[in-house]
Parts: sequence; C-alpha cells; structure tokens
Amino acid sequence: MLDSNLVNDLVRLLRRGVDSSLDDDAFGAWAVRIFAYQYAHNSVYARYCQGRGVTPDTVRHWSEIPPVPTSAFKELALVCGSRREAQAVFETSGTTRGTERRGRHYVLDLTLYDESLLPNFHAHLLPDREGMPMLALLPSPLAAPSSSLSYMLGCVMDRFGTPGSTFVVEPDGHVRYDDLHKQLDQLGNAGSPVCLLGTAFSFVHWLDRLTAEDRRFRLPAGSRIMETGGFKGRSRVMERDELYESLGDRLGIPADHIVNEYGMTEMLSQFYEPVLRWRVTAASPRLGGMRPRGPDATNVAGGTGLHVPPPWVRTRVLDPVTLEPVPRGEVGILQHFDLANLGSVCAILTEDLGVLEESGFRLLRRIEGAEPRGCSIAMDELLAARGAAST
Amino acid sequence: MNRSEAKVSEGEVIGVRGMEERGGVGATFDAWYWPPETSSPQETQVLEGPRGLRLCAPVLTTEALRALARTLRAARAEILLDRNVDEIVAAVSAAACRFLDTADPVRAMALDLTGRLTGYSAAMSELVLDGMARDWLEGPLRRLLTSEFDDPGVLDGFRPGPAGSRVRAFGPALSFHVGAGNVPGVTLTSMVRALLVKSAVVVKPAAGDVALPTLFARALAQHDERLARCIAVIYWRGGQEDLERAAMEEADLTIIYGGEEAITALRRIAPPQASILPYHHRVSFGVIGRESLQGDTAAETALAAARAAVIFEQRGCVSPHLYYVERGGQRTPEAFAEQLADALRRLEEELPAASLDAEEAVAIHQLRGAGELRRAAGAGVTVYRGEQAGWTVIYDESPSFEPSCLNRVLRVKPVSDLADVVPLIRPYRRYLQTVGVAGAGGRLAGFAEELGRAGVTRVTSLARVAWPPSWWHQDGLAPLRAMVSWVDLEPGD
Repeated sequence: MLDSNLVNDLVRLLRRGVDSSLDDDAFGAWAVRIFAYQYAHNSVYARYCQGRGVTPDTVRHWSEIPPVPTSAFKELALVCGSRREAQAVFETSGTTRGTERRGRHYVLDLTLYDESLLPNFHAHLLPDREGMPMLALLPSPLAAPSSSLSYMLGCVMDRFGTPGSTFVVEPDGHVRYDDLHKQLDQLGNAGSPVCLLGTAFSFVHWLDRLTAEDRRFRLPAGSRIMETGGFKGRSRVMERDELYESLGDRLGIPADHIVNEYGMTEMLSQFYEPVLRWRVTAASPRLGGMRPRGPDATNVAGGTGLHVPPPWVRTRVLDPVTLEPVPRGEVGILQHFDLANLGSVCAILTEDLGVLEESGFRLLRRIEGAEPRGCSIAMDELLAARGAAST
Repeated sequence: MNRSEAKVSEGEVIGVRGMEERGGVGATFDAWYWPPETSSPQETQVLEGPRGLRLCAPVLTTEALRALARTLRAARAEILLDRNVDEIVAAVSAAACRFLDTADPVRAMALDLTGRLTGYSAAMSELVLDGMARDWLEGPLRRLLTSEFDDPGVLDGFRPGPAGSRVRAFGPALSFHVGAGNVPGVTLTSMVRALLVKSAVVVKPAAGDVALPTLFARALAQHDERLARCIAVIYWRGGQEDLERAAMEEADLTIIYGGEEAITALRRIAPPQASILPYHHRVSFGVIGRESLQGDTAAETALAAARAAVIFEQRGCVSPHLYYVERGGQRTPEAFAEQLADALRRLEEELPAASLDAEEAVAIHQLRGAGELRRAAGAGVTVYRGEQAGWTVIYDESPSFEPSCLNRVLRVKPVSDLADVVPLIRPYRRYLQTVGVAGAGGRLAGFAEELGRAGVTRVTSLARVAWPPSWWHQDGLAPLRAMVSWVDLEPGD
C-alpha cells in the first residue's frame, strides 16, 4: 500500500490541472519527497542509487535522482512494496515474433493513473467540449487487461465518452470494421463529430482496407483522432505525413485535428501534441516553421512533433553517449521524471530521441529494441531461435 | 606497384568529391565503379550514407543493369577465362597492395572513408584495413587456392582427376554480391574470391562497407584495366526489388551477406532457378578454461580476450559476444571479469573506441542500467564500465547464452566445467560460428569435437579470433568450391 497522505497530496497536485504552474523549485521539492519515499520502500532501487552514490540526503536537484532504464522493467519488478498488491500490471508490447521478454509495470494505485490521465487528455483532445462519442481501434481493457493503452482509453471513455462509444477490436485482435463503419455512418448522418483513438498501426491497417474498398467517410467537423505508438515489429510501415494525409483523405479529418499521443507503459502520465489544444485556445504560436527538416523529419510524430508534458512531469534531453544534458535544440535521449509514478520509479531513461523546446520536446524517433549493427544476429532473432528450439 | 606508377592526384584515384564540408553538407563519395567501356550512367543521385557521409550512385534502371550484366559476362569470356589463376592472383594482389602502402593515397582514402563509415578511431581503421588487406595478397590467396583445390590449375584447364579422368572447374560466369555493412572489407573478400574462380562480379555493397570494393575496383583498373572490365560496384539502398530481381536473374550465382530479414527478402523475389549462397549473420563467443586462469597468465588471457572483442568494435561475425569462464582456476570467473575490464580500459589508449551513434549508445546505457538494477536485486551481477559509453563488462552468474549489444560490451558467465557450455549454446546451432578458446589444455580436441557437434564452425585461440586465415571454411563452407561447378572428362575405353 502506498502512503495515503502522499497519495492524497499528489492527487491534489494533479487536480490542479495542466494549466497550473509548478516551478522548478516546487517540482524539485516534490521530486525529492517522492524519491525519499521510493528510496525507503523500494530496496532494489535504493541499492541501485547507493551504487551511484546517490541517497535522498545527497540530492540537491531532482535531476540528480538516478533514472532507471526502460529495459530494467523487463528484468525486475520495480515497485514500492509488494508487487502482489498491484491493482494492475501493464506489459510492454512485444514484436510479432512475441518471443522477447516484456517489461512489466506494477501499478499499486490506479487513482494516480486516472488523475494524471484525465485532465491532460481533456486539455489536448477535448479542449472545446466535455465529451463526445469515442471509437477505439483497440481491444477493451477487459479483453486486454495488461495493456496500459486499453486501460487508458477505457478510463477516458468512462469519463468523456458519450453513448455509442465503444472498442471495436475483439480480444483475438479481430477488428469489427462493419460495426465501425456503421457507427461512423450513423454519427455522420446525425452530424455528430466523433473521436477515433488507436495506434498508428491500427489506422494504417484500417486505411488499407478503406483504400481496397475505395471507401471514404466525411466525418462531421470537429471529429478528431488520437493516434499513438509506432510500428514495432510490423510489416507495414507508413510515414507520419502519409498517414495524416491519408486520414484526411479517407475520413475527412484535417491534420490539426489529429493528435499524437506519446506514452509508455513504464509511465503513468502521457504527452500530447498540442495541435488541437492550441488551435482551439488560439494561444497557438505559429506552427508553420516548426516542422523539423532533415533526415529525422520523416520520423517526426504528428504535425509538429512537439509534445508537451503536464506540470507534474519534467523531461530532460541527454547526450546519448555521455548522458549529460544537451543544449536546447540539440538531439538527445529523453529522460522523464513523472511524479505520478509514485509507486514504481519516477525517473525513467528512455530509448527515445528528441529535442528540448521551450514548451516541451520534439519527439524524433522511438528506438524500438535497437538492434546490434554487427554481422552478429539481432537479439530478437536469437531469442526467436531459442523459442523455436524449445518448442 | 611501385610509387612512381601511382602519380595520380588523389581526386582521380578515389573519386571523392567535395571532401570540404560545404555549409554543413558533408563529404560525398562516388560509391560506384563501372567498366570503362560501358556508357556512363545517365543520371546519378546522392544518398545519405552512415554518419553523415553522402554516397553518390547511379540512378539505375533494370535495363541499364541488364546491359551492364551482359557487358560483364562478355568481358569474362574474353578476358577472365583467358587469364590463368596465377595472373589473377598477381593482379588482385598488386591492387590490394595499395591499401597497405603507407605512402599511397588509396590507403589514405580507404582509412578516411572507413573512419567516416564505421565511426572507428584512426587506430582501429588502420588495424582493420591492415588485417583485411593482408588476405588479398599473393601468399594468402595462394593458400586459399591450394586449400580448396589439390591443383588450382583445374580453374585454368583440365587436370588429372580420379581413375584416369581429367577434371576442370568453372566459376559462375557472373556472380552478384550483396554485401553487409558491419565489417569493412568483407564484401571485397567475397569479390576477390569470385575473381579467383574467374567470375565477373556485380557488387552491391551495403553503405557501411561501400568504400573498399569501390576503391579496389578503381585501383585494379589502374593496374590492369582489362581485368577491371569484369567488375561493377554499385551502391543502391537495399529493397529496390526490381533491381535486385534483375540482378539475380542475370547472375549465375548470388552471394548474400546479411541478416535473416535481408536474405529472406531476396529469396522471396529471386527467380526460381536462382542459385543463392547466403552468409547469414552469426554469433561467436569465447571460453576460458582454468589452465589460463593462473596467477601469471590470467592478465594476459584477459588482454587477449579484450582485444578479440575490441577489434571491429565487436561487429564482426567472428567477434565474441560473451565469455564463459571456468571455475576452479587460480582466478575466479569474477576476478577474471575484473581483469577483462582492466584490459578494456588499457586498450582504450591503443585502440580508442568508435564514435557511437545514438542507438548504439542508448543500447549500452540500457544494458548497464538494467545490469546494475539486477545487481541491486541480488542477482549475482556486477557491472564494470568505462567512461561514457566506452566499454562495459557485465559479470552475470546466470549461465544462459545472451548476445551483446556490441561496441565493447562483454558478459562474463561462470561455468563449472568447459563441457557445461555445450548444452547452453545448442539452441542456437544455426547461428554459431567462432569460439575463441583459452586454457583448455589437453581437453581442447575433445572440447572442439563437442563444439562442432553443437554447430560451431571455427575453434581458435583468442589471439586469432578476429583474423581467420584466408583459407578458412567460413560458416562451414569451402568458399571457392561452393562457387564452382565441375566438368569431368572421363578416360576413353
């Protein structure tokens, strides 16, 4: 059980919403307070920090708190207390080979997930309304209890989904396209805008089908999309620009109503592109010049690639070799500090590349299971061999 | 070739344009060589190569590629078949010498490009180029020939065969070589082997190994213009199925170096009659027996083990991913791990590490962090690490075979007895290649037998791990014999 005073205080902080400000000192105070708690209640993490010469007494700034790499979630249970008390265990997605170890995030208190998720989602997907019909191209949380994304969308749908909202993917992965299309026709006839949610891959798959059937929807104005995730282990890869163009063509949803969400199983908080939010609040700086150029441009998520953290998350961009912070504008690995991760570890070293910006970071590329560049075989291939040999 | 014959300006020799870094635009390398009498490409394009180097290559159509193949095939009939093997060896060797002549601009360019393409330090580029180029010289090429053929003259004409017969060996008229990018020079070795069996070659190097085949072709053209008419080197980004299918249709043999995915993709589009010789990605490792863990030898063993992995920055198929260390010697496996770390630290001065790209560095930090957490959880793990991402040793008591993320990342795992290694590696039999063994003493032959039964194709000393001899049975094959077909001339009645 997590310390209830700490949970309550944290929930109060999250309820202040995404527009509240938390300056570096205030954030730091929170970070150190939670670090001390995690240090005291997660002996593995405590020994890891000792190994790096860091204890709650030595930390002068939150950035000194040792991050754990995402891959560590594959090796151990990183939890403050007993994993048996977890209310949910979220697993990282595997590749299609399905042979590698999966990361597990033991979530002791889902309240923190919900309280972090809802205001942030609302601000970025529903800045102009309190609710709308939601169709998720994913299995429901009941069908996929270990998927943090299914849980997230279930939570969002419970709170913001109006009647007709549903998950259109069966537990076995079968997509009920007929139902989906019928729903869209009905909503379209009623002039009711809709929010579609899914992984980039699920949209690509659907678009392939719409193209094959030469079918188009003209979804009512105000319709929107939340897309997330990459193409890990998928045979069909589509560039982001092409995807957005195709979504515009087949569904009639303009790029400024397509919001990329960047989240990870290892974190309870998420990041969104503020395209829709800024458009609606008219607080938008001009986005035209922000589209990155160069070799990474094709991998940029969404229209701008800019992702904004909620006040209770800080992101650092580190030199991939030295792990020292890089100057603003330079590419590095993202390291997040998520206060909502009270029950596991707040400081997470990712495998994702990005660039620090004034109001967040630009996500450049998710390095998904980087493969060794040798004429040695990839980890995945080797593990597949082991899988095959043992069956 | 002596120096006076090589008075050509650097630009002419290597075809590197704009080595000045104009306004952030990096250097551009002309990553192709066509036989001189073919019409030069209509159009070229500049592609992003590794680490900022740009690669200029012809925009190829399948028609142009087929025309090129016909030209090469004709040149082979006219030129290659007319040469005897000794002459080919001499010409190849003369061109390859230029990679080793410290005063030659070809060597300078090869070193510069190797550094740019791989991120290797200057010292590593030199070590690798020297090691690879040695095998393209006369002596090693002859040893390769005599290892494969009792009389290499079978490549020149009929020679006495069994029971009064005479036999003759022909290489493929045209071979298509698809290279991998991990170790510079491997693609050129494949090309040289084909020339030895008098095959004209179309070479599609990977970006990471594009320099040496191209530079070699140009050097050969200067030394022996006619022979170089049997060679084309063209870089294109893999996955252009129309070109790849056309090349496989034109060639009598396709030799592919690469991962499962690349090989499968090419096999899928290959014409049914295509003959394909794949060299898959492999894993190698080392085994340290207790005889090498004595007080006075252990440090030496550790240094040899470190060096074996450091060469090629661990990216070679021969490069060890991990070391199994036997218990019961004077030094424990754990103490050996520490000595290995020490050796890696010392090697940093002699062979500074490569500049890593983000993905490579990220993989190292992930592995280290996860290792440290496992240690914190009491898993019998110790992580030794250099500055930044330089080198990493992870001592790990769990014996399972685990590949490295490369770039000087080595696991050390204890075993009670050498023989205990065999069941651990058996599941990976189709991927296994080199095992560097130290301190097996009188057990070596028996141990090698067991390793061979488990799928290993090369057992050697730590010092030799990185440098298989020119005649090695790469992945269990005789590389020249794998390319030839035989003609038997049986005795009359």
